[in-house]
Amino acid sequence: MPTATLDSPAMASEQTEAAKRDDFAEQAMQYADQLYGAAMRMTRNPADAADLVQETLLKAYAAYGSFKQGTNLRAWLYRIQTNTYINTYRKQQRRPFEAALDDLAEWQIGDAESFTASASRSAEAEAIHRMPSGVVKDALQEVPEDFRMAVYWVDVEGLSYAETAEVMETPIGTVMSRLHRGRKLLRGLLADYAREQGIAVQDATVKEKKS
Amino acid sequence: MSETPTVAETAARKDCAEARAALEEYLHNELCAEDAADVRAHLDECEECSAEHHVGEMLTAALQGACKDRAPEELRAKLLASLRAAQAQHG
Repeated sequence: MPTATLDSPAMASEQTEAAKRDDFAEQAMQYADQLYGAAMRMTRNPADAADLVQETLLKAYAAYGSFKQGTNLRAWLYRIQTNTYINTYRKQQRRPFEAALDDLAEWQIGDAESFTASASRSAEAEAIHRMPSGVVKDALQEVPEDFRMAVYWVDVEGLSYAETAEVMETPIGTVMSRLHRGRKLLRGLLADYAREQGIAVQDATVKEKKS
Repeated sequence: MSETPTVAETAARKDCAEARAALEEYLHNELCAEDAADVRAHLDECEECSAEHHVGEMLTAALQGACKDRAPEELRAKLLASLRAAQAQHG
């Protein structure tokens, strides 16, 4: 434990600006792996991911004065990274197709409520469980960006829906729909892979008739 | 589907539909305690919904297992250096 305690308000305010900045490198570097992981999901290549993390940390450093101590530093960094990515990298890439994806109707992606036999679901669970991690990673990279990132924040990083909404600057309902669609697409991709390997898995995206 | 389902079948279907609709939120611990308890109770007695939930759990586990990137040492060094440079500029 540090010996200097903040027992007077004067000391506390002196401490803020300079010490906060000193403290930033140490704090932020704890999240280097996570920021890099998220950057890999966004940019899909190591060189761009490295640049994105660096840019993110420098922006965060400059803006650290506005960070509210005691709030979630990780989510704050993710949000800066998301904005940096959108403003620099995504502009260069131009993928108009993906922008329209939030508007896709449910039936175009597949019906989540397909009531298939539990036996084939067990086979699907087993197939996913045995899936090589490289296959899972590739499948995730194939999912359109906004869906992919919602899945990444919630399932991999364990952010709550509310935190994810902050990071993505969207309403919670949009997070839920992106997450649902992203997971749905992933299941379809993994089922495709399993079938190619000769594992019998019912098509998760088949829409079943309902009465 | 020309056969009329029995009352019990209709009720079971409704329970399944409700549970399925909440399953993703259940998986991600986003439901309030009461709703989560309802879903849990349904999963205990419904093999199909329980199997569906298990697929969801496996998917999350597979994603966590697949995304274990580590920032390369070279990048770490670069990040520290550029943060120190920024600090020096600030004085």
